Amino acid sequence: MGAPPPPDRPRQSVKEAKMLPGRSKISVLVFLVPPLAVYAFAVLLPIVQSLFLSLFKWDGITDMKFVGLDNYVKMFTRDDVFWTSFGNAMGYLAICLVLQLGGALLVAGLLTTLRRGRELVKTLYLLPAVISTVAIAFLFQRIYSYEPTGLLNQVLEWVGLGSLAQPWLSNVDTVLAAVSVPEGWRFAGLYMLIVYAALLAVPKDLEEAATLDRANWWQIFWRIKFPYIRPVWITTTIMAATYALRGFDIPYLLTNGGPGQASELLTTYMYKTAFTHTDYGYASAISVFIVVECLVAVGLIYFLLRRKVD
Amino acid sequence: MTLLTPRVDRKVPAAPAPDGDVAPRRRGRLHAHRVISSTLVTALVIMQVYPLVWLFMTSLRTEQDFASSNPFSLPTEFTLDNFSRAFSTGNLGLNIVNSLVVTLGANVLIVVLGMMGAYALEVLGFRLKTFVRSMFLLGIIVPVQIALVPLFIDYANIGLLDTYQSMIIPLAAFSLPMSIYLFSSFYSYISRETYEAASMDGAGPYRVFGQITLPLSVNTIVTVVLVNSIFIWNDFIFANTFVLSDELKTIPLGLQNYIGAMGNVDWTATFAAVCVTITPLMLVFLVLNKAMIYGLESGANKG
Repeated sequence: MGAPPPPDRPRQSVKEAKMLPGRSKISVLVFLVPPLAVYAFAVLLPIVQSLFLSLFKWDGITDMKFVGLDNYVKMFTRDDVFWTSFGNAMGYLAICLVLQLGGALLVAGLLTTLRRGRELVKTLYLLPAVISTVAIAFLFQRIYSYEPTGLLNQVLEWVGLGSLAQPWLSNVDTVLAAVSVPEGWRFAGLYMLIVYAALLAVPKDLEEAATLDRANWWQIFWRIKFPYIRPVWITTTIMAATYALRGFDIPYLLTNGGPGQASELLTTYMYKTAFTHTDYGYASAISVFIVVECLVAVGLIYFLLRRKVD
Repeated sequence: MTLLTPRVDRKVPAAPAPDGDVAPRRRGRLHAHRVISSTLVTALVIMQVYPLVWLFMTSLRTEQDFASSNPFSLPTEFTLDNFSRAFSTGNLGLNIVNSLVVTLGANVLIVVLGMMGAYALEVLGFRLKTFVRSMFLLGIIVPVQIALVPLFIDYANIGLLDTYQSMIIPLAAFSLPMSIYLFSSFYSYISRETYEAASMDGAGPYRVFGQITLPLSVNTIVTVVLVNSIFIWNDFIFANTFVLSDELKTIPLGLQNYIGAMGNVDWTATFAAVCVTITPLMLVFLVLNKAMIYGLESGANKG
């Protein structure tokens, strides 16, 4: 990739110096308007449109009917499916975070102790991230399969836990975990990579000084390495959390929210409301809620992880 | 960084009390540690990759072999019949072409618009740039689902439903923030003096862009394209929402059709179809894995 840019080059503080001399207003517009227009059309405008639509009742054919905040009132007070989906989305989020962040930290930490094969491990570990969700959903459907016996039930049988073998995707108690695991599996490598790169950047002399002082590995990790990688950890947590909150493909393809609503997430519920029941107003209200949820999650993560510095 | 040094001095003496000759025992423990962690890493990598190995192995089995043997045994005989059945039943060739069109189109937009936006924000500069930058950053957090209903309605109004553009535009727009961000952080390392010298020689903003910024951006372009191609090539949600006709279906949709039609009829051919669809990107990844890994790392570690 060529030489990486030099780190920590001091940025010029004088404001005027940040502007190219000889630039004109028109040239700024020429460069700024095209990207902004595409972005506004496909990202910003839809946000505004969703806010607007969420105040109406509309099936796409008959006239739009203004209902004020009724969609939101219905969502919070009269819709059990909404709350079930919200609870499921939280469960999905928790499982993804544990698998991705916990896994990332564990594997990245182990990787730094290896002497050989680091590149190979990184490449192999990242492999699932390049596979489409449709392929992943198919793969896991076969892994969970009960009849004929899939990979998971076969392994359980071999290790003597054959009594646990079951149709994972049709049991209401296991289905949520079963649809969350593929999502966790898929991006585990990505977060591992990011955390690993951050761990490598921890100066060796800090670690050596601690080793001389007979700190054990846990102390070295928790007191030295982790504080050092905290900024990257915040970014990683935010990425993992927002990706998990918008998770859609795998539950939609594997179970379509079923059985019943056992694996319904807010995203799949919103999709069905919009494109199966063509209730655009209510679907928009749910998608506004999903955006707010993501923003709140980012704020919370930033606040919680940041504060521990003190 | 300097903030951390006092922390180390303060905390580390709290380590467990020293006991006797530490050095030899520590060396032994270190060795044991290394063996344990190698074993653990190997086990985790096998768990991570085995599902894919199984996928490829099954696609090479005969149907009888698949039905009779357990999922961990090697195929008793290899066959490519599954692949020929997969190609003759499905539309996989056409799907691959469609995916190439969408991936190429979206990447061109992402690169060109990303460079332009970053140039305006980072090099030219203007009064509202902090505001515009934060508008773009918002797009990294906002989930794509918010755009589905409004875009579906807009597309229906302007006749863009069921076109390549209907997939390319939102895919590019939602990748644009990260692209602008990566180009910006690279442009901020190009020294001001370079630009000032060029301006002294009478080069306007367009010539500076064409002669200085663009030629220097090649590495970042590769990074941006590699990282975004993964998400664009695999996009399911936009394609599933905006595309209806079979002639425009990309690989994820074509594969979904195939699985729906044949998934429970012809198991081994379906495995082969899945393999065909994941192989192109996987090959690119295996060949270019250094560049791709660098790109994915820099996306987060510069933040």
